[in-house]
Amino acid sequence: MINALRSFLLAVLATVALTSPALAQGAVKIGVLTPLSPPGDAAAGQFIVRGAKMAAEEINGKGGVLGGRKIELIVEDDSGTPEKGAAGLRKLASQDKVVAVVGQFHSSVAEAVQDLAEQLKVPVFLTQASAKKLTEKHLNYTFRTHVIDPDRVTLWNKWIQQQGFKRVALLAENTDYGVGLVEETKKQFVSMNVKAELKTMIFDRAVVDLTPQILEIKNWKPDLFINIGIGTPVYLISKQAYDVGLLPGTPMLISYDAPARPEYWNTLGEKGTFATFIVYYHPTMKLTPRGEAFRTRYLEQFKEQPVYGGLNAYAQVMLLADAMNAGKTDKPEDIVKSLLANKFVGWNGTIAFTRGEGPYWQQWTPPMLFLQYTKPEQAFPEAKIIYPPELKTGDLMLAPKR
Amino acid sequence: MDAFILSQYVLSGLVIGVIYGLMALGITFIYSIMKMINWSMGEFYMIGSYVQYALLAGVLGWSLWYVALPVAMVSVFLLGLLVQRFLLRPMYVGGVERRDEYATIVTIALMVLFRNLAIVLGGPNQYAPRDYARATTLVTLPISGNRMVALIGTLVLLALFFLVIKTTWIGRAFRGAAQNRVGIQTAGVDVLRLDMLAFGVGVALAAAAGALLAPDFLVYPENGAISTFKGFEIIVIGGLGSILGSIVGGILLGVIEALGSVFLSPAYKDLYGFVLLIALLVFRPTGLFGERERTV
Repeated sequence: MINALRSFLLAVLATVALTSPALAQGAVKIGVLTPLSPPGDAAAGQFIVRGAKMAAEEINGKGGVLGGRKIELIVEDDSGTPEKGAAGLRKLASQDKVVAVVGQFHSSVAEAVQDLAEQLKVPVFLTQASAKKLTEKHLNYTFRTHVIDPDRVTLWNKWIQQQGFKRVALLAENTDYGVGLVEETKKQFVSMNVKAELKTMIFDRAVVDLTPQILEIKNWKPDLFINIGIGTPVYLISKQAYDVGLLPGTPMLISYDAPARPEYWNTLGEKGTFATFIVYYHPTMKLTPRGEAFRTRYLEQFKEQPVYGGLNAYAQVMLLADAMNAGKTDKPEDIVKSLLANKFVGWNGTIAFTRGEGPYWQQWTPPMLFLQYTKPEQAFPEAKIIYPPELKTGDLMLAPKR
Repeated sequence: MDAFILSQYVLSGLVIGVIYGLMALGITFIYSIMKMINWSMGEFYMIGSYVQYALLAGVLGWSLWYVALPVAMVSVFLLGLLVQRFLLRPMYVGGVERRDEYATIVTIALMVLFRNLAIVLGGPNQYAPRDYARATTLVTLPISGNRMVALIGTLVLLALFFLVIKTTWIGRAFRGAAQNRVGIQTAGVDVLRLDMLAFGVGVALAAAAGALLAPDFLVYPENGAISTFKGFEIIVIGGLGSILGSIVGGILLGVIEALGSVFLSPAYKDLYGFVLLIALLVFRPTGLFGERERTV
């Protein structure tokens, strides 16, 4: 009798397992490879992980993907270094068997990761890595939903022309991102016929004392200073530029959205006032229903405005789930086909990947805005949009002389 | 380039050079007494900066940085005593073979441990205490109040250190140990206890640099890397075990880096020090103030 019952139960279990592929195949794993410790921009990585986790929770709360399989995130720290990034990707692909990887932030790391991803045939998503060459290589397994450097430079050149700046100084870190921006700015100054003098300096990212370089820039008397540091260097430059008297008298443009994070004021205090910075998201922006739902949940959960990195990572995990469902597959090569064949709802619009010319290969670009803080400890939603003209809510405010 | 601007670059190099000297002093002091390299020196710098920040942010308030500074130094001094007593002392007892390898492995392990502990306890983000003082001008150089405080603090600590080494009994014992560890034991000095004290003082000096520079160079888990990196460069330039060499080496490195990054390229700032270091190794392998070791 007991034997008969045991046989019956085993038969039932086997039937369930065989007829329910979702149960049989287990969770679908997605890798999050992002900087979570220095010298990488660890704060950016934390926001990216938050967004990816919220997407996984949302998908799993609605029944998962591919008929009921859960999404499982495997988080790896690339520390902002190419060697750790490559090791992390190898582990995610070979050991964890992830179907795709999101979260790439530093361009130098992304370059090492994307070459390996091509060999291992794993789709990799650039969440906030903007070097042009990353999509210019026309790799099959690299996708980007972030701005590219030529577009960033075009926008700041237009702003320079509109403001009538005559002497522009760039201080950039010696990474693919920093060097790429310097080269692109030089190139576009000629092609856009920008009527301003340009001074560029590249510094070693490992250096903490930038006083001599900043003094040289100050003595050159620029009327715009562009700060191209990422992570800790962006703060070191801002502090030391203030200390030698370059700021706040000379307007400073920070090349990415670091000032949108709460740590900005904690680190810089009043020295952060009057900084202009580039963002890809502002709380006044109209979002898709998916983006709105994310924003509401984020505000409830973290009691602060979401940051772009979080929104973008969230959208990347969501669109990966959509691509798997649309293609009815969890095989990386088929996911790539599905990503190319379909359109997806992002956080602020429809995302489609086409294989365009140059860097516009499997590339989708969010909007860019220039914001300025005009008061110490100003909240991010209160920062004025000063560029582009069609969206601006205020003009560039110059600091009073110290 | 006019003299005014040139003087700014030289001064900025001098200021950072003196501070580099403090970073290197602890390494060279520990080496001169214990004949071992402490690879985790930068992590004691990092701990000093964290203790300073935690005291100011959580206990004392931003204005009492001068109270927090000695507390940070004493805390790291005590930590140094513990590390020396339980992790390093065993290699000096019972004729341990391959003492250098033992010290290297233990101090590198400590480096990894402390960095990861900082990430676990404080998170990976950077912090900064509020400014210690208002910005000012040093002759021709506009300088942050923090940098000025760090400069003055470094000079005071160096003066105190020299005073203790030159005029006190313990200072004489340190100098004796630096010259001949066996010799001072015959004079009745407990050299193991002296080692413990030397290690504590050395790491407390690194902690002082970390605490003084916290507002300028920020507080984060890897901020000590620069201290270790520059410290070793300086002690080779100045001469391993030479206290005067660490000060002169620090100033030389600071000025060369400042001028190199202005007149050549800032992208290779770290390279200029290494060119000097290689040149010294070729023409004067013992460093500027080092002496050739004589053993029997």
